[in-house]
Amino acid sequence: MIKPKRLLSLLLRFIAFGTTLAAVILMATSHEKGTFFAVSYEAKYTDTPAFKYFVIANAIVTVYGFLVLFLPPGSPIWRLVLALDLVFIMLLISSISAAMAIAQVGKNGNPRAAWLPVCGQITKFCNQVTGALVAGFIALITYIILLLYSIYNFLNPLFEKA
Amino acid sequence: MALQNEDKLEVGYSSLQPKPKKWVLLMLRLLAFFATAAATVVMGLNKETKTLVVATVGTTPIKATLTAKFQHTPAFVFFVIANGLASIHNLVMIMGDLCGQKLDYKGLRLAMIAILDMMTVALISGGASAAAFMAELGKNGNSHARWNSICDKYKTFCDHGGGALIASFAGLILMLIISVMSIIKLLIKPKPDSTTVVP
Repeated sequence: MIKPKRLLSLLLRFIAFGTTLAAVILMATSHEKGTFFAVSYEAKYTDTPAFKYFVIANAIVTVYGFLVLFLPPGSPIWRLVLALDLVFIMLLISSISAAMAIAQVGKNGNPRAAWLPVCGQITKFCNQVTGALVAGFIALITYIILLLYSIYNFLNPLFEKA
Repeated sequence: MALQNEDKLEVGYSSLQPKPKKWVLLMLRLLAFFATAAATVVMGLNKETKTLVVATVGTTPIKATLTAKFQHTPAFVFFVIANGLASIHNLVMIMGDLCGQKLDYKGLRLAMIAILDMMTVALISGGASAAAFMAELGKNGNSHARWNSICDKYKTFCDHGGGALIASFAGLILMLIISVMSIIKLLIKPKPDSTTVVP
Protein backbone atom coordinates (compact mmCIF):
# COMPACT_ATOMS: atom_id res chain seq x y z
CA MET A 1 0.00 0.00 0.00
CA ILE A 2 1.33 3.47 -0.83
CA LYS A 3 2.24 5.56 2.20
CA PRO A 4 0.39 8.91 2.42
CA LYS A 5 3.71 10.82 2.40
CA ARG A 6 4.71 9.18 -0.85
CA LEU A 7 1.24 9.78 -2.27
CA LEU A 8 1.38 13.48 -1.42
CA SER A 9 4.82 13.87 -2.96
CA LEU A 10 3.74 11.97 -6.08
CA LEU A 11 0.63 14.13 -6.41
CA LEU A 12 2.63 17.35 -6.11
CA ARG A 13 5.15 16.17 -8.69
CA PHE A 14 2.35 15.22 -11.05
CA ILE A 15 0.77 18.65 -10.67
CA ALA A 16 4.14 20.30 -11.35
CA PHE A 17 4.69 18.14 -14.45
CA GLY A 18 1.19 18.87 -15.68
CA THR A 19 1.43 22.61 -15.28
CA THR A 20 4.81 22.92 -16.99
CA LEU A 21 3.45 20.82 -19.86
CA ALA A 22 0.42 23.09 -20.04
CA ALA A 23 2.64 26.18 -20.08
CA VAL A 24 4.72 24.78 -22.94
CA ILE A 25 1.68 23.79 -24.99
CA LEU A 26 -0.19 27.06 -24.41
CA MET A 27 2.80 29.19 -25.35
CA ALA A 28 3.85 27.09 -28.32
CA THR A 29 0.42 26.98 -29.94
CA SER A 30 -0.26 30.68 -29.55
CA HIS A 31 -0.33 32.42 -32.88
CA GLU A 32 -2.71 34.77 -34.49
CA LYS A 33 -3.10 36.15 -37.96
CA GLY A 34 -5.19 39.04 -39.02
CA THR A 35 -5.53 42.28 -40.89
CA PHE A 36 -5.75 45.68 -39.36
CA PHE A 37 -6.63 48.46 -41.77
CA ALA A 38 -5.22 46.55 -44.76
CA VAL A 39 -2.04 45.80 -42.83
CA SER A 40 -1.68 42.09 -42.26
CA TYR A 41 0.07 41.01 -39.12
CA GLU A 42 1.00 37.75 -37.59
CA ALA A 43 1.95 37.11 -33.99
CA LYS A 44 3.83 33.99 -32.97
CA TYR A 45 5.71 33.09 -29.85
CA THR A 46 8.97 33.03 -31.84
CA ASP A 47 8.77 36.79 -32.36
CA THR A 48 10.35 37.41 -28.97
CA PRO A 49 13.42 35.65 -27.58
CA ALA A 50 11.85 35.89 -24.12
CA PHE A 51 8.93 33.65 -25.13
CA LYS A 52 11.28 31.23 -26.87
CA TYR A 53 13.34 31.03 -23.67
CA PHE A 54 10.13 30.44 -21.71
CA VAL A 55 9.15 27.51 -23.94
CA ILE A 56 12.63 25.96 -23.85
CA ALA A 57 13.01 26.31 -20.07
CA ASN A 58 9.58 24.86 -19.34
CA ALA A 59 10.19 22.01 -21.81
CA ILE A 60 13.39 21.08 -19.96
CA VAL A 61 11.58 21.13 -16.62
CA THR A 62 8.72 19.04 -18.08
CA VAL A 63 11.14 16.31 -19.15
CA TYR A 64 12.81 16.41 -15.74
CA GLY A 65 9.45 16.20 -13.96
CA PHE A 66 8.41 13.27 -16.10
CA LEU A 67 11.60 11.36 -15.30
CA VAL A 68 11.36 12.03 -11.55
CA LEU A 69 7.82 10.63 -11.46
CA PHE A 70 9.22 7.16 -12.04
CA LEU A 71 11.95 7.27 -9.40
CA PRO A 72 11.45 4.51 -6.82
CA PRO A 73 11.35 5.64 -3.18
CA GLY A 74 14.40 4.99 -1.02
CA SER A 75 16.80 5.30 -3.92
CA PRO A 76 19.91 7.41 -3.22
CA ILE A 77 19.22 9.54 -6.31
CA TRP A 78 16.70 11.54 -4.24
CA ARG A 79 19.55 13.69 -2.91
CA LEU A 80 20.42 14.63 -6.48
CA VAL A 81 16.73 15.37 -7.03
CA LEU A 82 16.90 17.79 -4.10
CA ALA A 83 19.79 19.67 -5.72
CA LEU A 84 18.26 19.59 -9.19
CA ASP A 85 14.99 20.95 -7.79
CA LEU A 86 16.82 24.10 -6.73
CA VAL A 87 18.51 24.48 -10.11
CA PHE A 88 15.26 24.05 -12.00
CA ILE A 89 13.42 26.46 -9.72
CA MET A 90 16.03 29.04 -10.65
CA LEU A 91 15.48 28.26 -14.34
CA LEU A 92 11.70 28.55 -13.98
CA ILE A 93 11.91 31.85 -12.13
CA SER A 94 14.25 33.30 -14.71
CA SER A 95 12.06 32.23 -17.64
CA ILE A 96 8.82 33.49 -16.10
CA SER A 97 10.41 36.76 -15.11
CA ALA A 98 11.71 37.38 -18.63
CA ALA A 99 8.42 36.44 -20.33
CA MET A 100 6.45 38.60 -17.93
CA ALA A 101 8.70 41.61 -18.55
CA ILE A 102 8.13 41.43 -22.31
CA ALA A 103 4.42 40.63 -21.93
CA GLN A 104 4.00 43.68 -19.70
CA VAL A 105 5.51 45.90 -22.38
CA GLY A 106 3.23 44.31 -24.97
CA LYS A 107 0.17 44.95 -22.87
CA ASN A 108 0.88 48.46 -21.61
CA GLY A 109 3.44 49.72 -24.08
CA ASN A 110 6.14 52.17 -23.12
CA PRO A 111 5.14 55.68 -24.21
CA ARG A 112 8.53 57.19 -23.49
CA ALA A 113 10.24 54.82 -25.91
CA ALA A 114 7.43 55.26 -28.46
CA TRP A 115 6.47 51.61 -28.07
CA LEU A 116 2.75 51.15 -28.62
CA PRO A 117 0.84 48.37 -26.83
CA VAL A 118 -0.01 45.60 -29.24
CA CYS A 119 -2.46 43.58 -27.17
CA GLY A 120 -5.42 45.48 -28.51
CA GLN A 121 -4.96 44.02 -31.98
CA ILE A 122 -3.97 40.47 -31.04
CA THR A 123 -6.25 39.70 -28.10
CA LYS A 124 -6.34 35.93 -28.64
CA PHE A 125 -2.54 35.75 -28.67
CA CYS A 126 -2.28 37.88 -25.55
CA ASN A 127 -4.86 35.81 -23.69
CA GLN A 128 -3.09 32.57 -24.52
CA VAL A 129 0.26 33.96 -23.46
CA THR A 130 -1.31 35.10 -20.18
CA GLY A 131 -2.63 31.57 -19.68
CA ALA A 132 0.82 30.12 -20.30
CA LEU A 133 2.34 32.53 -17.77
CA VAL A 134 -0.26 31.61 -15.15
CA ALA A 135 0.47 27.91 -15.69
CA GLY A 136 4.19 28.59 -15.36
CA PHE A 137 3.58 30.46 -12.13
CA ILE A 138 1.59 27.60 -10.63
CA ALA A 139 4.36 25.19 -11.65
CA LEU A 140 6.92 27.42 -9.94
CA ILE A 141 4.93 27.53 -6.68
CA THR A 142 4.47 23.75 -6.78
CA TYR A 143 8.20 23.21 -7.23
CA ILE A 144 8.97 25.55 -4.32
CA ILE A 145 6.55 23.59 -2.11
CA LEU A 146 8.23 20.36 -3.23
CA LEU A 147 11.69 21.72 -2.44
CA LEU A 148 10.68 22.87 1.03
CA TYR A 149 8.98 19.51 1.62
CA SER A 150 12.12 17.60 0.58
CA ILE A 151 14.32 19.75 2.79
CA TYR A 152 11.93 19.26 5.71
CA ASN A 153 11.94 15.50 5.23
CA PHE A 154 15.70 15.44 4.97
CA LEU A 155 16.17 17.55 8.07
CA ASN A 156 13.55 15.70 10.12
CA PRO A 157 16.13 14.24 12.53
CA LEU A 158 17.46 17.75 13.10
CA PHE A 159 14.01 19.14 13.85
CA GLU A 160 13.19 16.36 16.27
CA LYS A 161 16.36 17.15 18.20
CA ALA A 162 15.14 20.72 18.88
CA MET B 1 31.56 -1.70 15.38
CA ALA B 2 29.27 0.82 13.72
CA LEU B 3 29.15 2.95 16.87
CA GLN B 4 32.96 3.11 16.96
CA ASN B 5 32.99 4.26 13.36
CA GLU B 6 30.46 6.97 14.08
CA ASP B 7 32.48 8.20 17.06
CA LYS B 8 35.60 8.33 14.90
CA LEU B 9 33.63 10.24 12.25
CA GLU B 10 32.42 12.81 14.78
CA VAL B 11 35.89 13.33 16.22
CA GLY B 12 37.23 13.68 12.70
CA TYR B 13 34.69 16.37 11.82
CA SER B 14 35.19 18.40 14.97
CA SER B 15 38.97 18.35 14.57
CA LEU B 16 38.68 19.48 10.96
CA GLN B 17 36.65 22.53 12.18
CA PRO B 18 36.94 24.17 8.73
CA LYS B 19 38.84 27.37 9.43
CA PRO B 20 39.99 28.02 5.84
CA LYS B 21 36.46 27.22 4.63
CA LYS B 22 34.99 29.89 6.90
CA TRP B 23 37.20 32.58 5.37
CA VAL B 24 36.44 31.36 1.86
CA LEU B 25 32.71 31.70 2.48
CA LEU B 26 33.19 35.16 4.00
CA MET B 27 35.28 36.30 1.04
CA LEU B 28 32.70 35.00 -1.41
CA ARG B 29 29.93 36.80 0.48
CA LEU B 30 31.94 40.03 0.40
CA LEU B 31 32.47 39.71 -3.34
CA ALA B 32 28.80 38.94 -3.93
CA PHE B 33 27.84 41.94 -1.79
CA PHE B 34 30.07 44.21 -3.86
CA ALA B 35 28.73 42.80 -7.13
CA THR B 36 25.06 43.19 -6.25
CA ALA B 37 25.62 46.59 -4.63
CA ALA B 38 27.44 47.77 -7.75
CA ALA B 39 24.58 46.53 -9.93
CA THR B 40 22.03 48.33 -7.75
CA VAL B 41 23.93 51.61 -7.69
CA VAL B 42 24.83 51.66 -11.38
CA MET B 43 21.28 50.89 -12.49
CA GLY B 44 19.77 53.13 -9.82
CA LEU B 45 21.71 56.15 -11.03
CA ASN B 46 21.12 55.31 -14.68
CA LYS B 47 19.80 58.41 -16.35
CA GLU B 48 20.40 60.11 -19.66
CA THR B 49 19.06 63.39 -20.93
CA LYS B 50 18.93 64.45 -24.52
CA THR B 51 17.79 67.75 -25.95
CA LEU B 52 16.39 67.86 -29.42
CA VAL B 53 15.45 70.80 -31.48
CA VAL B 54 11.79 70.32 -32.32
CA ALA B 55 10.98 73.47 -34.28
CA THR B 56 12.37 76.88 -35.04
CA VAL B 57 10.23 79.93 -34.36
CA GLY B 58 11.86 82.89 -35.99
CA THR B 59 15.43 82.61 -34.83
CA THR B 60 14.94 80.84 -31.47
CA PRO B 61 14.93 77.07 -31.68
CA ILE B 62 12.46 75.24 -29.43
CA LYS B 63 14.18 72.47 -27.59
CA ALA B 64 12.54 69.40 -26.13
CA THR B 65 14.27 67.54 -23.35
CA LEU B 66 13.85 63.81 -23.24
CA THR B 67 15.16 61.69 -20.40
CA ALA B 68 15.70 57.99 -20.14
CA LYS B 69 15.47 56.81 -16.55
CA PHE B 70 15.41 53.33 -15.13
CA GLN B 71 12.05 53.99 -13.48
CA HIS B 72 10.33 54.06 -16.85
CA THR B 73 10.63 50.28 -17.16
CA PRO B 74 9.13 47.99 -14.48
CA ALA B 75 11.71 45.32 -15.34
CA PHE B 76 14.55 47.63 -14.36
CA VAL B 77 12.72 48.69 -11.19
CA PHE B 78 12.44 45.01 -10.23
CA PHE B 79 16.13 44.59 -11.09
CA VAL B 80 17.16 47.41 -8.74
CA ILE B 81 14.92 46.17 -5.93
CA ALA B 82 16.09 42.55 -6.28
CA ASN B 83 19.76 43.46 -6.27
CA GLY B 84 19.23 45.86 -3.37
CA LEU B 85 17.59 43.13 -1.31
CA ALA B 86 20.37 40.72 -2.24
CA SER B 87 23.09 43.13 -1.08
CA ILE B 88 21.22 43.73 2.19
CA HIS B 89 20.97 39.95 2.65
CA ASN B 90 24.69 39.52 2.04
CA LEU B 91 25.50 42.37 4.42
CA VAL B 92 23.35 40.85 7.18
CA MET B 93 24.97 37.44 6.61
CA ILE B 94 28.47 38.94 6.82
CA MET B 95 27.57 40.74 10.03
CA GLY B 96 26.07 37.56 11.43
CA ASP B 97 29.20 35.64 10.55
CA LEU B 98 31.57 38.16 12.08
CA CYS B 99 29.68 39.40 15.13
CA GLY B 100 26.87 37.04 16.00
CA GLN B 101 28.40 33.58 16.06
CA LYS B 102 26.37 32.61 19.14
CA LEU B 103 23.00 33.67 17.74
CA ASP B 104 20.89 30.62 17.26
CA TYR B 105 17.24 29.63 17.23
CA LYS B 106 16.55 26.07 18.36
CA GLY B 107 19.60 24.88 16.45
CA LEU B 108 18.15 25.99 13.11
CA ARG B 109 20.78 28.64 12.33
CA LEU B 110 22.40 26.75 9.47
CA ALA B 111 19.04 25.74 8.01
CA MET B 112 17.82 29.34 8.05
CA ILE B 113 21.01 30.58 6.40
CA ALA B 114 20.73 27.94 3.68
CA ILE B 115 17.06 28.68 2.96
CA LEU B 116 17.61 32.45 2.90
CA ASP B 117 20.52 31.97 0.51
CA MET B 118 18.33 29.93 -1.82
CA MET B 119 15.65 32.61 -1.74
CA THR B 120 18.21 35.28 -2.61
CA VAL B 121 19.52 33.23 -5.53
CA ALA B 122 15.96 32.94 -6.84
CA LEU B 123 15.39 36.68 -6.42
CA ILE B 124 18.56 37.72 -8.21
CA SER B 125 17.98 35.29 -11.05
CA GLY B 126 14.50 36.69 -11.61
CA GLY B 127 15.63 40.30 -11.59
CA ALA B 128 18.68 39.72 -13.78
CA SER B 129 16.81 37.73 -16.39
CA ALA B 130 13.93 40.22 -16.68
CA ALA B 131 16.38 43.12 -17.08
CA ALA B 132 18.48 41.14 -19.58
CA PHE B 133 15.55 40.46 -21.90
CA MET B 134 14.29 44.03 -21.57
CA ALA B 135 17.76 45.29 -22.46
CA GLU B 136 17.85 42.97 -25.48
CA LEU B 137 14.51 44.44 -26.55
CA GLY B 138 15.85 47.95 -26.15
CA LYS B 139 18.96 47.14 -28.13
CA ASN B 140 17.44 45.26 -31.04
CA GLY B 141 13.86 46.43 -31.03
CA ASN B 142 11.12 44.15 -32.29
CA SER B 143 10.12 44.45 -35.92
CA HIS B 144 6.96 42.37 -35.47
CA ALA B 145 5.52 44.72 -32.88
CA ARG B 146 6.99 47.79 -34.60
CA TRP B 147 9.04 48.75 -31.56
CA ASN B 148 12.17 50.67 -32.46
CA SER B 149 15.43 50.16 -30.69
CA ILE B 150 16.39 52.95 -28.34
CA CYS B 151 20.06 52.18 -27.82
CA ASP B 152 21.27 54.21 -30.76
CA LYS B 153 19.70 57.32 -29.26
CA TYR B 154 20.58 56.72 -25.61
CA LYS B 155 23.98 55.15 -25.84
CA THR B 156 25.19 55.94 -22.29
CA PHE B 157 21.98 54.63 -20.77
CA CYS B 158 22.41 51.34 -22.58
CA ASP B 159 26.08 51.07 -21.69
CA HIS B 160 25.47 51.65 -18.00
CA GLY B 161 22.58 49.22 -18.03
CA GLY B 162 24.78 46.59 -19.64
CA GLY B 163 27.45 47.11 -16.99
CA ALA B 164 24.90 46.73 -14.21
CA LEU B 165 23.63 43.53 -15.83
CA ILE B 166 27.13 42.05 -15.99
CA ALA B 167 27.70 42.89 -12.31
CA SER B 168 24.38 41.29 -11.42
CA PHE B 169 25.17 38.10 -13.31
CA ALA B 170 28.56 37.89 -11.59
CA GLY B 171 26.73 38.34 -8.27
CA LEU B 172 24.29 35.60 -9.29
CA ILE B 173 27.08 33.09 -9.97
CA LEU B 174 28.82 33.98 -6.69
CA MET B 175 25.50 33.72 -4.83
CA LEU B 176 24.91 30.28 -6.36
CA ILE B 177 28.32 29.05 -5.13
CA ILE B 178 27.61 30.53 -1.69
CA SER B 179 24.21 28.82 -1.58
CA VAL B 180 25.75 25.46 -2.49
CA MET B 181 28.37 25.90 0.23
CA SER B 182 25.73 26.80 2.83
CA ILE B 183 23.70 23.72 1.90
CA ILE B 184 26.81 21.54 2.15
CA LYS B 185 27.55 23.04 5.56
CA LEU B 186 24.01 22.24 6.59
CA LEU B 187 23.99 18.65 5.40
CA ILE B 188 27.50 17.70 6.45
CA LYS B 189 26.70 18.08 10.16
CA PRO B 190 27.12 14.71 11.83
CA LYS B 191 23.65 13.41 12.56
CA PRO B 192 22.95 10.79 15.21
CA ASP B 193 20.19 9.25 13.14
CA SER B 194 20.12 7.50 9.79
CA THR B 195 20.08 9.61 6.68
CA THR B 196 17.49 7.96 4.48
CA VAL B 197 15.59 10.49 2.44
CA VAL B 198 11.84 10.07 2.30
CA PRO B 199 10.73 10.98 -1.23
